[in-house]
Amino acid sequence: MSKKIERVQAGEKVFDWLLLLLSIGVLIEAYRIDGGLRLNSAGSFPVGLALVMLVSSLALIVSHRYKRRDESIKSALQECQVFLSDHFRSHIVVFSIAAIIYLAAIVWASFYISTFIFLAAMFIYFRQGRVVSSLIITTVAIAVIYVLFTVVFRVYLP
Amino acid sequence: MSDTLSFLLMAWLNPGLLGLTALGVLAGIYIGAIPGLSVTMAVSILISFTFSWHIDNALALMVGIYVGGVYGGSRTAILLNIPGAPSAVTTAFDGYPLAQRGEAGRAIGLSTVMSVIGGLIGVLVLAGTAPYLSGLALQFAPRDYFLIAVLGLLLVSSLSGKSLSRGIFSVALGGIIGLVGMDMVTAQPRLTLGQMELLGGIHYVVVMIGLFGVAEALYQLHNLAKVPVKQKVDKIVPPLNMVLKFLPLSVRTSVIGVIVGALPGTGGDIASLFAYDHAKRSVKNPTRPFGEGAYEGLVAPETANNAAVGGAYVPMLTLGMPGDAVTAVIIGALVIHGLNPGPMLMIETPHIFWFTVGNLALANIFLLIFGLTGIKIFSKIVEVPKAVLIPLILVLCVVGTYSINSNMTEVYWMLGFGILGYWLKVFGFQMGPIILGVILGPLLDESYRQAMSSVGDRGGDFLLALVTNPLSLVLTSVITLVLLSNTPLKGWLSRRFGRS
Repeated sequence: MSKKIERVQAGEKVFDWLLLLLSIGVLIEAYRIDGGLRLNSAGSFPVGLALVMLVSSLALIVSHRYKRRDESIKSALQECQVFLSDHFRSHIVVFSIAAIIYLAAIVWASFYISTFIFLAAMFIYFRQGRVVSSLIITTVAIAVIYVLFTVVFRVYLP
Repeated sequence: MSDTLSFLLMAWLNPGLLGLTALGVLAGIYIGAIPGLSVTMAVSILISFTFSWHIDNALALMVGIYVGGVYGGSRTAILLNIPGAPSAVTTAFDGYPLAQRGEAGRAIGLSTVMSVIGGLIGVLVLAGTAPYLSGLALQFAPRDYFLIAVLGLLLVSSLSGKSLSRGIFSVALGGIIGLVGMDMVTAQPRLTLGQMELLGGIHYVVVMIGLFGVAEALYQLHNLAKVPVKQKVDKIVPPLNMVLKFLPLSVRTSVIGVIVGALPGTGGDIASLFAYDHAKRSVKNPTRPFGEGAYEGLVAPETANNAAVGGAYVPMLTLGMPGDAVTAVIIGALVIHGLNPGPMLMIETPHIFWFTVGNLALANIFLLIFGLTGIKIFSKIVEVPKAVLIPLILVLCVVGTYSINSNMTEVYWMLGFGILGYWLKVFGFQMGPIILGVILGPLLDESYRQAMSSVGDRGGDFLLALVTNPLSLVLTSVITLVLLSNTPLKGWLSRRFGRS
């Protein structure tokens, strides 16, 4: 009887191996807690959870035996290309980088200024250059955030 | 009795609470309906703003958002074939074909009435069973709590996501995140990587906002350009004979919804799938074939997912176990306000329980009002493009996280969890089990250590107690069965007995 072959996404097998590495790292860290191997100590439960992570990530790797890449993917290089084109599309990369810069900028440029620049830049980029309407939406959004969080909820913002 | 009644009607008679519940339901309908926003995301962000509120106000708003949000997802499922929430995925099977036939208004109206019926049945079950269950839960030993938590997490792992291994990994990862920080018993640092900043632990709201907010926003970037197809909506109020015709089915699927919702970690999405399957099997002559616009295919999931809300509150209020991701967040809110979710809640703060019951019923009344009105404005608002929505979600996540402790490091952690959550989501891991792990991890650790101490730290005695105490034996047997049913042994047994 033939076993049904499941398909994996590009990069899925590598990701599962990374989870195994993470589990090993967590197990080492949990073992370092005093009393990690005793049945009732600060370390016993973390060690137990780390072992559960390890076993389940091993089970995921073993399950690869029954999984195949998409038929259109012939080589590891091609899989890498598919992975990059799926998850590193320009708008995802731009948004991620903008998000990191935005979070870094909040500390030295203040919340409202950095948020205004971030929202305006993202709206203009995602809406393919509609500058005026993007700036209007940004201004309205900032006004709503100010009224809601600073005036109503009295949240302190940097 | 008079106390119970006054707690029950508290939200109904206090204008402030009445207003917050109404606001919550209205906001929940839109949050649930707008693809890209989710109830869990909204409640996670909201929790950080309601720290300083009175618990009644915070709960009124959260209950409203929860009830409205579970229903709201069905509207876009019917109108645009885009379920606004996971619990509305099944609604789209027959809801969207109905809209294509020009019956969108009637479908929305019927789904509203049925959601309210399901919601009210869920509330009745909650009010009728929870006091008895919590009385029973007081007899539980720490060992039983440990087993119940393990069973809950195992059910979450097996029912959500594409494989048990992924589910178990997610729960364990959540548990590890929840244990980071100083051990409450011995004051030893655990899993802090030598960092002083981590001694206080990672606030679970930070993890929630990262996993449900940022991860979802990043994930939605894959469908940035997806344009929904609009439908014409008219005649929204369903005729009485139509409601009466589907009432028996809605009562049956409500019961399914409550039971499934009460299983820790399941929630409306699984309840609606079970109910749809039940309708397909039990209705011999549907109005149209299932999948082509059968009203039965709309009624069943819509009733079940709202009934699951009441069901989800049962383990939360009686055992301190969240029924789904939203109740996991609400447990967090209760703890933050100094309450003790679990059997002691009924003894220490009974008003919270009866207030929640009354508030859930009230939220369902508001759902009926808002569900049957304002559909024209609704159609416009849900068309907010993702290009506008996604950057705004990130900003809300930043505000929500920063407002917890006014600490930018937590905002960076939130982004980190968002990125981790994105990759986990891409490869088929669910966020719900991770959050349940974060919340239940420390509770499991505590009950495990108490259980071990009660047998003098002797492993053999601990194992023996699992099979000699009647309740522990039942729980251990169920856990073993759940585990075995997810192994190749199940297939081997069915082949062997099938052949014979």
